[in-house]
Amino acid sequence: MDIVSLIVPLIEITAAGAIINASVHFVPVGGAPAAMATSTGVGTGTTQLAAGAGFTGLMGAAAMAASVGLSPTGIALILLSGAVSSMIMLGVTMLIGQLIYVFGIGVVPAADKCEIDPITKDPQKPYVTPGTTGHGVPTVCFVSGLIGAALGGLGGALAYIALRKLGLDAGIAGMLAVGFFFINAVLASYNIGGTIEGFHDPKFKKMPNGVIASTVASLVFGIISILMVLSV
Amino acid sequence: MSHGGGGHAAELYPEEQIFAAGIGLSLVGCYLAAILAPYGLGMLIGGLLASAACVAGANTVRKVAAYGLGTGVPSIGMVSLGMGTLSAVAGVLISGCFNLPYWVAPILTLIISAVIGYIVGRLTVNPVGMKIPIMVRSMTFLSIAGAMALLGFTVAYVGSLEPSAYIDGALNNGIMALAFIAAGMAILHPFNACLGPNESHKRTLTLAVACGLLTWFVFSVVKLDVVSIVVSIILWAIVYVKFVKMSLNDACAVLHVPEIPKKEE
Repeated sequence: MDIVSLIVPLIEITAAGAIINASVHFVPVGGAPAAMATSTGVGTGTTQLAAGAGFTGLMGAAAMAASVGLSPTGIALILLSGAVSSMIMLGVTMLIGQLIYVFGIGVVPAADKCEIDPITKDPQKPYVTPGTTGHGVPTVCFVSGLIGAALGGLGGALAYIALRKLGLDAGIAGMLAVGFFFINAVLASYNIGGTIEGFHDPKFKKMPNGVIASTVASLVFGIISILMVLSV
Repeated sequence: MSHGGGGHAAELYPEEQIFAAGIGLSLVGCYLAAILAPYGLGMLIGGLLASAACVAGANTVRKVAAYGLGTGVPSIGMVSLGMGTLSAVAGVLISGCFNLPYWVAPILTLIISAVIGYIVGRLTVNPVGMKIPIMVRSMTFLSIAGAMALLGFTVAYVGSLEPSAYIDGALNNGIMALAFIAAGMAILHPFNACLGPNESHKRTLTLAVACGLLTWFVFSVVKLDVVSIVVSIILWAIVYVKFVKMSLNDACAVLHVPEIPKKEE
């Protein structure tokens, strides 16, 4: 195998890791407090939300890859398919969560980290119950979550494409992409340290640290993947 | 950072001892599974010994998650299996690529997982900034435990360490995905279920053994190995009953009520 066909997938894997890590920072994760509607976001951990959306993206990408192949148009379609699958998954999760928060628990969706919603310009602070850090999934968090899901699906699909380009079978590439996704999603969630509302949250500024960590980890992952296919 | 754990309860055995025993047993298990597979004992011996790696991993999760990860216990179990997948696949495939004898695969897996675990552990401390003193060591241990659990169960299923047989028998048919989530649950669940102010090492370890045996049972069912199914479910039942009794003993009070009593005005 010549050097170019090894370097290109290595760069793609590294970029995919950085994209996945960045994507997790967009997802509105509420953690345990959100499960009791006392914090903004969806009531589960970062890893679970990112993994749910990321895996759907990976499935979408793999299904598309099986039918279009790895031509340039095919790669564009695979990336798009991954991003859209992931967005649908997280969008539905946030929508159903929102229905339960509003009609089941009876809270008003409100963001705690901003005075007015940057998208709808609605005031947020008066609706936050004292002693809590917001409720539900307000518009800004929903949009942020969709951006995050699109990036996550794109990253997962890119990693899958890179592993397939290295000449690995679909089964091996899929399994490795799952492991790869988890490493990067967890590095991001440790960088966030619990809960985040979206791109308007002050914690979002910590993103570069996580991206650097993921880039290094993905590079190591890529080098080991290349060792696997070197002299088949 | 929130504290998810309940401090550090007294340890029954030191972490290093449990870890060394678990990894040693699962390493032996990989070889025994490959050697004994022609006699139909691959799953019986290999599965039993692979569950030791789950116990070792669960014990390390207990140690590190007691500091409070801030993201929930499952996250560290999942990263352990993420690193483990790469190491297990890499161990088997790399030995095939460089014309090494294929029996070095488990040792290669051990080395690769230790390297990846160390690097990811350093990354969680340096740019990311986790403030847990034993983070690097724990990530290394967890990576090794996850890799050995994955390799142990898949080799017990395939019955061979030969790369092409392994790729066909464990990777292309998706058994690796089952190993990923089943072994992952066995590693992350025990401490996630037992954490709290009254957490005791003995109880968590008992649940860890039960979870490891249950994973072995799942693989026995997938392989349709009748002897392993019977042995694993009996062993699991014994350990799990012991765990339930221990939980009832440690509980402040056990009330058997038909429904939640109505609050009187």
